[in-house]
Amino acid sequence: MRLTINGRSRNVTPRGDESLLETLRERLFLTGTKLGCEHGECGACTVLLDGEPIYSCLALTAACEGSSITTIEGVARGDTLHPVQEAFIAADAVQCGFCTPGQVLSAVALLERNPNPDDEEILSAMSGNLCRCGTYPKILKAIHAAAESMRATSARPNDESGSSAANTVAVHTERASSRPEGV
Amino acid sequence: MSDTPAPSGGGQGKRFITTTVEVEGRVESKVVELPESEPAAWDANAALRIVGQPVTRHDAREKVTGRARYTADVQLPGMLFAAFVRVDAAHARVSAIDTAPALDIPGVVDVLVAADLPRTIKVGGVKLFDSTIQFAGQPIAAVCAESREAAERGAAAVRVDYEVLPPVLTFDESVSSGAPKVRGANNLLSGFPQLVERGNVDAALRDANVVIRREYTTSGQLHSAMEPHGAVAEWDGDVVTIWESTQGVFRIRDEVASTLALARSRVRVVKDYMGGGFGAKSHAGAHTYVAVLFARRLQRPVRCVLSRAEEQTVTGHRPASQIAVTLGAKSDGALVAIDVDVRIALGIGGWAMSAAAIFRELYRCANVRTRESLAFTHLQEMQAFRAPGHVEGAFALERAMDVMANALGMDRLAFRLRNLADRDQDKDRAWSANQLEACFREGAARFGWGGWVGTGEGTSAGTEAGAEAGTEAGAEAGTEGYTGDERVRRLGGGAGNFPVGGPPHAPNDSPLPSLPHNIRRGVGVAGAVWGAGGGPPAYATVRLNSDGTIDVLSGTQDLGTGSRTILAQIAAESLGAKLEDVRVVLGDTERTPYAGTSWGSMTTASVGPAVRSASVEAQKRLLEAAGELLECHPDDLVAQESVIETRDRARRMTFGEVTRKLGNVMIMGNGSRGPNPQDVGLASFAAQFAEVEVDVDTGVVRVLRLTGAHDAGRVINPLLASSQLEGGMLQGMGFALFEENRLDPRNGRSLNPGLHDYKIPTLADTPRIDAFCIESVDPTANHIGARGLAEPPIIPTAPAIANAVADALGVEVDAVPLTPWRVLPLVRR
Repeated sequence: MRLTINGRSRNVTPRGDESLLETLRERLFLTGTKLGCEHGECGACTVLLDGEPIYSCLALTAACEGSSITTIEGVARGDTLHPVQEAFIAADAVQCGFCTPGQVLSAVALLERNPNPDDEEILSAMSGNLCRCGTYPKILKAIHAAAESMRATSARPNDESGSSAANTVAVHTERASSRPEGV
Repeated sequence: MSDTPAPSGGGQGKRFITTTVEVEGRVESKVVELPESEPAAWDANAALRIVGQPVTRHDAREKVTGRARYTADVQLPGMLFAAFVRVDAAHARVSAIDTAPALDIPGVVDVLVAADLPRTIKVGGVKLFDSTIQFAGQPIAAVCAESREAAERGAAAVRVDYEVLPPVLTFDESVSSGAPKVRGANNLLSGFPQLVERGNVDAALRDANVVIRREYTTSGQLHSAMEPHGAVAEWDGDVVTIWESTQGVFRIRDEVASTLALARSRVRVVKDYMGGGFGAKSHAGAHTYVAVLFARRLQRPVRCVLSRAEEQTVTGHRPASQIAVTLGAKSDGALVAIDVDVRIALGIGGWAMSAAAIFRELYRCANVRTRESLAFTHLQEMQAFRAPGHVEGAFALERAMDVMANALGMDRLAFRLRNLADRDQDKDRAWSANQLEACFREGAARFGWGGWVGTGEGTSAGTEAGAEAGTEAGAEAGTEGYTGDERVRRLGGGAGNFPVGGPPHAPNDSPLPSLPHNIRRGVGVAGAVWGAGGGPPAYATVRLNSDGTIDVLSGTQDLGTGSRTILAQIAAESLGAKLEDVRVVLGDTERTPYAGTSWGSMTTASVGPAVRSASVEAQKRLLEAAGELLECHPDDLVAQESVIETRDRARRMTFGEVTRKLGNVMIMGNGSRGPNPQDVGLASFAAQFAEVEVDVDTGVVRVLRLTGAHDAGRVINPLLASSQLEGGMLQGMGFALFEENRLDPRNGRSLNPGLHDYKIPTLADTPRIDAFCIESVDPTANHIGARGLAEPPIIPTAPAIANAVADALGVEVDAVPLTPWRVLPLVRR
């Protein structure tokens, strides 16, 4: 079967009971997606399925045929980091880093849905991603900073030719809008 | 010859001396080598450009892009996967194991049982694959297969026959007469309670004006690192390489080598990135030995990584405690007697972490008696968990301090300040430095501790004053400020005046009268002390490459603490190099010189000075080489930003220009950590404040805000330090509100072996946090002036929160975590 992962079409032959997490990590060696619990409890395995954050440990690969999947490896564009990644670094929203890929993807998805989230909206979107080091105050700060930087970039005229931030946002928006309404 | 090195004191020509190092509350005596010379200490006047700056984490980019490689990410050609067969009974005797069904599973290649082990292997006090089961989940065999899925299916197929025996699960059961033998002669660690007394407690209690007695309990807490324990092992000839998620690569190397009778030079342990440890990842585990042995038997690499359920049930815990406290005080507020009895159900293994020590350390008291009993039970072993013992002890001590303050009619903060210890009473010596009073005062000012910010002016003025003037504002308030005005105190104050912090979903702008009928608010305070001086041995090597870039090598590890970054800062500062030119290589027993396990808040204060010494030596050589090239005396040269200049700035070369000219002539420096000063206590201090809201209808406690004021000597990187503080406080909040290792009382099995039922804090639970270190340097402790700060932030959080809940409800709070099931009965009281 074919999956689109980080914009590239990949051919995989999963077992029927194989999770997307296992396919990503053990077949495609995309090990940025972490296994923390395999029970949908921790969020370390978060990826974007057609723009929406999901726990890849609870998704069957076989059910993802035709979907577009974004893993942490696909968030930056080459050496240019996504504004969420930049903001996580600047705010030190990273300690051991094990939950970070999932946190970044949940934050990216949130900001695509809602470019100007308030605290409550951030808490609601992010509380499915656990962090035992307790970087939460910095994650909140980073998401606000990323939102601001993305808004500033998209408000700038002529952003088609503009910075990487605008490009990244554009790519993700395109993916998100390819989903059927209401999903 | 050089301007920096000064002779280290005390040696009198001796090369090796005996010194003491405190680790997790244990004092160890060690013979160490005296460095030939050590740099003069960075004191308060040291002009530092990189140390002290909030630079971002050096490995953050790898972490936010998913490129950071953790143990389970190691992929080797031909790699196999191992899984455990476990017995789900807390106490049992295995009579038979049938492994044949496992070998019938496609993909399964091998099974290990006790008879296959080359030697007796002990893990956490239990023999690996022992037929006597002493905690639920103890392994009895392991299966190796071509895939993890096949290994797990194979493990499930192994048939184990066992007879369930009555388990011993609580302290009382363990010490009751006729209790089944768990371990040792009488189930007690060391065979008897540990008794420490100073002064005359009985006489002091008779003479006290007020005596209070209370009993407190804390629940078992699980480390719950996001990355489970794991190892990958690969043999190449007679050398084994182990990739392990560990806090101590050299400890793993030594344990594996000793246990399996291998030469230490034939065991290489590598830890690059790891997903948290918090104390639980300090030793080789069953997973380590199983990976190593399967890899040797099968001559293929083997990965053995635990599942979440295994992580929560077999890798160690902070044991539950029962602590009875008696305090005596004079009516003027002087604390005159402390009598404590600590009872801890340790599990099947563990060590004498002292929950009683903080009673002997934190407050001034001439008459203190502590009695500690640690009982073995049929439960996973105790493992060090961030400030082991002190977290439990602080809860009981600081709750009792509140009870006493209220009994005396004193403000709770004033009572604490009245009784601050001015020296290390437990060891009868001075502290190298101690800013605990400043922590309380500055914390109170920034928190807006109601009683301390005057009268009708309101609390925000006090907060402002505190933020600006710090100790002065507090000092005034300390003597005169407490008004006793209940309304002011309850308000907590400080609306909108917090510099940074968490979600303002917990606004402090709703005045008391407008609170809903079911909401009660309260504030609390608590203090902490924690031995955090680090010590030898620790080594570092600094080498310049021919392009002028710099490698710093040391056998310590970065658990997510930021040590990789702060060691780069220390090296760049000491070398006069650009920070971005420094790369720090850690956690590899083959590439790096020795440094100890990353525990006991030791890394900065142990490895930092070694890195500085190595950098100073390397800089000396570099300047000598540059002197040759620039035709001047090395003493006439200074280095900054990777540029070497003559003092008159007439001639200059970059580091790269010098090293390129030298070609493959290496500029290197080696550094070692010198001994600690003798007869001085080395500890970090903290004061934390909490404001909570209790819903008396539901019993839900919500922490609105936390203020943490910390003293850890010099702070190398305030950005990373604040992350550590916030993280410790959030783990303390979890301990206070949610986290409880629940066991089925009938069979000792875990009732909540996952992160859904074992609740750790989420972003939605996170209060507004104001965490900071006060201005401080400690040149007595070591020549970088820094002490540790990883563990102190978890110590006072739970008592500060519990004190706030007691304040809100006006009742005794005698147990954590404060789940609704514990809070509702308090409300009805």
